[in-house]
Amino acid sequence: MTATSKTSILILDDEPIVSKRLQPALEKKGYEVESFYESAKAMVRIRERSFHIVVTDLKMEGIDGMQFLAEVKKLSPRTEVIVITGFATMDTAKESMRKGVFDFLAKPFKLGEIQEVIRKAEEHIRLGKEGKE
Amino acid sequence: MFGLFEHIRTRLLRRRRRERVSLAALFRQFQQVLELNNRILTAIASMHDKLGGDYIFDVQYLRSSKQFIVDTVRELIDAFDAMAPGRYPGLYAAFRDIRHKLESELERRPVLPDVMALSFADIRLKDMDAAGAKSTRLVMLSKASAGTVPPGFAVTTSAYRLFMELNDIEDEIVRLEGSWRDGAMTVQEASGKIRSRILAGSIPPRVRRAMGRELESLRRAAGEGHLRLAVRSSAWGEDGDLSFAGQYDSFLNVRPEDLHDAYRKVLASTYSPAAMEYRREYDFKPNEVFMAVSVQAMIEARTSGVVYSMSPVRRGAGGIEIAAAWGLGSPVVSGEVEVDRFLVGREPEHAVIEQAVAHKPTALRPGPEGAVAVVDVDEELRDAPSLSSEEVRLLADAAIRLEQYFKKPQDIEFAFDRNGSLVVLQSRPLRIEAGDDPQSPALSDVLKEYPVLLSGEGDVAQQGVASGPVFVAWEGRDLDEFPVGAVLVAHLSSPQYAPVLPKASGVVTDIGSPLGHMATIAREYRVPALLNASRATLVLKEGDVVTLDAEQKTVYQGLVRELRMHDFMSDRMEETYEYRLLRRMLKLIEPLYLVDPEEHNFTPQGCRTMHDIARFIHEKAVEILTEIPTTSGASEACPGGRLELPVPMDLVVLDIGGGLTEECAGEEDKPSRRRTIRPEQVRSETLRAFIDGVTLEGVWQSNPVPVDFSSFMSSMTRTFSADSAGVNRMGQNLAVVSDHYLHLSLKLGYHFTLIDCYRSEDDSRNSVQFRFAGGVTGAVRRSRRARFLFEVLKGFDFSVTVKDDLVVARAKGWMARDLNRLMRILGLLVAYTRQLDVSMVSDSRIFEHCQEFEHIAEEAMGN
Repeated sequence: MTATSKTSILILDDEPIVSKRLQPALEKKGYEVESFYESAKAMVRIRERSFHIVVTDLKMEGIDGMQFLAEVKKLSPRTEVIVITGFATMDTAKESMRKGVFDFLAKPFKLGEIQEVIRKAEEHIRLGKEGKE
Repeated sequence: MFGLFEHIRTRLLRRRRRERVSLAALFRQFQQVLELNNRILTAIASMHDKLGGDYIFDVQYLRSSKQFIVDTVRELIDAFDAMAPGRYPGLYAAFRDIRHKLESELERRPVLPDVMALSFADIRLKDMDAAGAKSTRLVMLSKASAGTVPPGFAVTTSAYRLFMELNDIEDEIVRLEGSWRDGAMTVQEASGKIRSRILAGSIPPRVRRAMGRELESLRRAAGEGHLRLAVRSSAWGEDGDLSFAGQYDSFLNVRPEDLHDAYRKVLASTYSPAAMEYRREYDFKPNEVFMAVSVQAMIEARTSGVVYSMSPVRRGAGGIEIAAAWGLGSPVVSGEVEVDRFLVGREPEHAVIEQAVAHKPTALRPGPEGAVAVVDVDEELRDAPSLSSEEVRLLADAAIRLEQYFKKPQDIEFAFDRNGSLVVLQSRPLRIEAGDDPQSPALSDVLKEYPVLLSGEGDVAQQGVASGPVFVAWEGRDLDEFPVGAVLVAHLSSPQYAPVLPKASGVVTDIGSPLGHMATIAREYRVPALLNASRATLVLKEGDVVTLDAEQKTVYQGLVRELRMHDFMSDRMEETYEYRLLRRMLKLIEPLYLVDPEEHNFTPQGCRTMHDIARFIHEKAVEILTEIPTTSGASEACPGGRLELPVPMDLVVLDIGGGLTEECAGEEDKPSRRRTIRPEQVRSETLRAFIDGVTLEGVWQSNPVPVDFSSFMSSMTRTFSADSAGVNRMGQNLAVVSDHYLHLSLKLGYHFTLIDCYRSEDDSRNSVQFRFAGGVTGAVRRSRRARFLFEVLKGFDFSVTVKDDLVVARAKGWMARDLNRLMRILGLLVAYTRQLDVSMVSDSRIFEHCQEFEHIAEEAMGN
């Protein structure tokens, strides 16, 4: 993660429509994006490399989203996680916030909304870095 | 209808105290019907909005939306049933049927229409599920005038399902696929077994008959003994997704008597090893496989070939690639032979960039006994180009138009027939892979170089990238001039632009809503549309080339090639299962089939969608209220009375809650029909606005219009019928009014007007409907008056349809924000149109009246 490189984003959602819609839109904004439909494959990937930002669904077959984001935070504490889910309840939101999630979006949401959250997460990362330097 | 009122009346006569309660209850129930109706329409519009690409949704969203609509419609039926207990039991049956279909869709059991074959001439975009992707796309491109296509028909997905059911193949497939997935059998073994079952199957009689009928009409058109067929796959669920390309079999030059065999062979190819592997990879369920078959008349091809509207090899520079050879096209498609190659520019002049004419010693030709044969090409033609330069230009032009229409680069199969006419045989999306060129700069950096004209404002009705010259639709501009591929820029997003949308590459408006009529049409054609962008008409200049990125709400100056390429290469939301599911669910929810209340299908049984049910109930609920003043007994306690007006309109107002001031509430002992109401006692703003319009000095024609002899005769002989306007309760002019609702049934002169007007909480979901029919004169004059109304209402941004002399105009969303203005205009129009048909002696009078009315409206609105 150097200062000049692109902001990297991993998207995990078992419904293809999410990344099919998000990936091109985010790439256009200059992000480097990798998409996964299966949590197991995403899990393998986060062990190989770290991402600046992870966007993940909570309810999926196989590994639960909550488990996945816990793993992300363990491997790379500075990665910001944004949770997107169709099961929007306050409980899940609170639980994911406790696990250190940056923000929480309930589907359906507008493209502009997630772009805004990602922008804020980026800013957060930048400020965090400056604080450390 | 009579029963209910008889019921109310007897109850009222016996116990006066109960009477108020009953009417009050009726009004309350009616208010509830209105409220639920509005909630349903809002939910439908909101679901449709999700097609535009500005939202990220998932199946869970589809489930909960379905549940909301199902629950609300059920509540609506119950509320209506309380108004008219037990009168329309059929509504519950219709509701259950639609709900069942919606649930099937969500459980991955698609609802297929019950039809076995469809002639190309009858296929519409909505028939994609029945006819499959290939046939539907072919028909759509010919309707969009993007090319000529051969005559033919589709054997439907339902025919496939029936074939599989009758031959008992489905369980066998599940079993064999299971063994293959478990590794107990190779894909070749499983495929072979399934295919031989299909090839041995018998075609169900219903399918045979349907095929026979369509074949007969093709045969008649071709002439006896001349018809040969091309039989191709047209699978379900293939729309937009090209990856099935080439996995299924096609058969050329099939004799009509061999059609059944060819049909079975195409069906069998559904289970080729490649197709099975592909479906496993993309998680298709066995019950998601439906093969429609396209049967086309063979074109006697002089030259055939393939066009790529954008060269996959020379991406950056662009260019259209054409490959062609003498005779039939399959060797060109499969790349078996040397072919002539042309690379031409994408710009309108289509300059030839490269050209290579091959040596072509042989060609594929139809054999006399069906099938095809390789034959020698005449000596002098072997080294001659198989396309003239004029034909190359024609092809390039067609390719750009098809790309324009389908919003993606196209892979097109074509033929020139013996007469030199161009026929498009197939057009499908061309997959262009993103190149891994480390040298090319990032798109986000490239975009910084382009001047931005508009950014950050507006609502996305349909996402996507569009570029082209700006066409500013200023007031009164002739839309016929709209050039293909231009970007439409307008102040208001009005439905009057509907005809140009299929030609437009993009749309930007100052004002508009993604829930309005125009947004719906933009999504239908997938035209990138940014509405409500506030300054578009100020900033974007006529004729300037711009690039719209609706997704990012940005308009760039000039042609941004990199953005277009990015858009072309990106995965499409339209290609996902969730998007297709939303589209299919909307088919059961959104379309309105019940348009005319006097049509025979305006019944509970005629309700095919949730929208139909809501529409039916609204119409019938209003009818119940409008009968109250003419039902003796009930009228006595009506809150309301006769409105005092300076024009002889004789309007009775019935207040169902908050439409009049409190002193008009009525007392039991004072029959309302004798009570008069002064205009200042009207609280409803919309009714006041209407009164303002209808009573404007000089508009209401107070002198009897001289009726000429032919009109007089026509009024004598014409069977008098109010039916076509849906006013079968003639006589009393009536306004049903509440604080946010107004309904007017008017019989003036000899015609009928219905106005239905609803104000929503924040004005964003207002709606107005205006219906008009009848008249004293013959059909020609009445249709002239209909034409007058059409022109005038269109000019005020109503969405208008005309059938004979029935005119239906609607406005909703943004177009209905200023309800008072619209109601004033309708008031003026009602006054102006009285007996207008009598003066419609020639077509030229239509436009004179339009001008005169425009003048009056301008003056009145200016005040």
